[in-house]
Amino acid sequence: MKKRILIFSCLLAVLSVLLTAALFQLAAFNNYFAEAKQETISETNLIKAAVETVGESYLDSIINVNPELRISLMDRNGDVLYDSDISYESLGSHASRPEFIGALTAGFGESTRLSDTFGEQTYYYAVLLEDGNVLRTARTVDSVFASFFRLILLTVLIAVAVIIAAITIGARVTNSIVDPINRLDLDHIENNAVYEELSPLLRRMKHQNDIISGQMAEIKQKQQEFSAITDNMREGLLVLDRDAYILSCNKSALHLLHLQIEFPLRLNVLALNRSKEFLSAIETVLDGAPTESMLHINGRYIQLIANPVWDAGGAILMLLDVTEREDREKLRREFTANVSHELKTPLTSISGYAEIISTGLAKKEDVPRFAYNIFTESQRLITLIGDIMLLSKLDEYEKVNPPAREDVDLFALTQEILPRFYDSAAKKDVSLSLEGDSAVIYAVRQAIDEMIFNLLDNAIKYNCIGGSAAVSITKADGAAILSVSDTGVGIPLCEQDRVFERFYRVEKSRSNSVEGTGLGLSIVKHAVLLHHGGVTIQSDGSSGTVISVSLPLAAG
Amino acid sequence: MRDSYIKQLQQMHTELIRMGAYCEESINCAVKGLLYDDAGLRERAFYLEDTINLKQREIEGFCVKLLLREQPVASDLRQITTAQKMIIDMERIGDQARDIAEISTFTAASSVKSDIHIADMASSAIKMLTDSVDSFVRADLDKARQVVDYDDIVDELFDKIKSELIDIIMADPGKGGDCLDLLMIAKYLERIGDHAENIAESVVYWISGQ
Repeated sequence: MKKRILIFSCLLAVLSVLLTAALFQLAAFNNYFAEAKQETISETNLIKAAVETVGESYLDSIINVNPELRISLMDRNGDVLYDSDISYESLGSHASRPEFIGALTAGFGESTRLSDTFGEQTYYYAVLLEDGNVLRTARTVDSVFASFFRLILLTVLIAVAVIIAAITIGARVTNSIVDPINRLDLDHIENNAVYEELSPLLRRMKHQNDIISGQMAEIKQKQQEFSAITDNMREGLLVLDRDAYILSCNKSALHLLHLQIEFPLRLNVLALNRSKEFLSAIETVLDGAPTESMLHINGRYIQLIANPVWDAGGAILMLLDVTEREDREKLRREFTANVSHELKTPLTSISGYAEIISTGLAKKEDVPRFAYNIFTESQRLITLIGDIMLLSKLDEYEKVNPPAREDVDLFALTQEILPRFYDSAAKKDVSLSLEGDSAVIYAVRQAIDEMIFNLLDNAIKYNCIGGSAAVSITKADGAAILSVSDTGVGIPLCEQDRVFERFYRVEKSRSNSVEGTGLGLSIVKHAVLLHHGGVTIQSDGSSGTVISVSLPLAAG
Repeated sequence: MRDSYIKQLQQMHTELIRMGAYCEESINCAVKGLLYDDAGLRERAFYLEDTINLKQREIEGFCVKLLLREQPVASDLRQITTAQKMIIDMERIGDQARDIAEISTFTAASSVKSDIHIADMASSAIKMLTDSVDSFVRADLDKARQVVDYDDIVDELFDKIKSELIDIIMADPGKGGDCLDLLMIAKYLERIGDHAENIAESVVYWISGQ
């Protein structure tokens, strides 16, 4: 723009210089020529008068008086009688010249002729003498062109000077227009000091600025809301463009994918995970089909839900940590499988014995033994089902339906329970003992009863012949501690974590010889959890086990 | 014009990640096929080797096209030449995974494998590969250098396995065949470690120009 302004002003300056020079020349020349004409006319008239009085000899006398003037004399036929410049014999007839014709007809005539080179211009003036001859004077001046060309160098010099001036001034002016615009402080439009022509622009810019900053604030707020949502949700969120590059990603997503990288913007999503499931999920979703898959990352189950974005292309991925759900699911499946298995074993033998008896294959004397077997197996079934029901009841207590609680004295309750084991203890020759004193807790009596029962049951069942089982009840730090110690086979260290699982039994082959459902310690754990207590196992894994249960004492 | 060029570079990068992922999967399948004696997984390693070869050819074509059409310079040129080197290593890894799967067919049932450190070595080699591909996809110079250093561990494990196998053969010459097979597998794993190291070195060159 600046360049154009400069070129334009230069052109303008040069043009005006040239035009002015030309017009001035023209006017000056016209003036000069008219004066020359007038001079010639009056001189001619003077000569005419002189010739008429003195005669033709006068002409010879005035030669060289005025060298600019060329004087010629012609007879009425146009033949030259005299000429002050050239020898007149060489000249032809002047009869056809306009000034000659004019002189013959009107008494005087004039004409102007340009020389062949346009460099000179000659004015002719002719008058008719009394003797019928024609006197003609001619004056030659430089033509308008010649005089113009004489001045051209000067004009060019002036033009150059003017161009230089135009460029300097033009540049200065343009700068003074452009600089304030370039120096505008766009953030604080109102603080700018500029010439007044700019203020409408500034007003509009200020208006625009206000609109933009309003929109920016709105967008920022939205962005903050969005990141507040995405950053605080536990689910991972990834937004991809059509080429699988990450547009947005929250912290949970990185956490769930087990990555310690900074915000992975403009990274291909494959940089986050390259597992087969992930690859195929990305491929499917970018083809436009929603998909769900399960990733296994660092020992955790991550569910990947991928949905395509229809209008813009790309995809939205959700990541959920479903490890707990999967684990629970697994436990539930295992439990169901275990229950079925445990129920099936006694039922199979019951059905077997019953079949033998019903087909009459059994000898008569064997029938009572078979019947006894059927009886014990059904007893086992009943115990098992009772345990399962108890467990599910405890589950229910824990979750939805808390039963009525009451003050329970652990010491008294244990005293109550002990007689139930006299028979089984006597069979294995296990001595039972109880020490400590009363400790009252606020609890569900039935659950505590089952707990103590199962602990004692285990202490006797897994004891060796002639061993002992001791219960001690103490108080410490606001909790009642009930410990059951035995001299039995113990629990191996590596299995101590697992014995509380349902149907888990230490060394399956060995424990088959001991009757049990594998639910006892599970019931204990549930009862303890129901009362917000804790349970610990101390065992060296070969001889004797101490299981301690601590339960909060009743207030007051 | 320039946009499509950048896009093509990105696509090349993505395809390389994909090829790396195939390599990881194939070596995983081969190793698990050996350790758990799973014919299905070994089959998958065979299949993946073909996929990897196809991918290599695809990326190769891509690189040549980019070089001819766009005449890249500086780090772009480095990226493309690096890619050309990496796909060769990756293709070799695919071949070796396939070889492991093939040998496993004869030896997976043998019990010798649980007496030696082959599982450790396999997981080390896999870790090297995973880390080298990771360093590539995230342009992580530190990780790439770690991989280069990690190669010594795999080499040590190879020596260890070798001496373990010698002991087994001395104790029970009947197991000689299995031992030799396992030695081959260990050698392949060691080679995979070397290729992973090469990939990591390529990554270092790509990022730092050294």
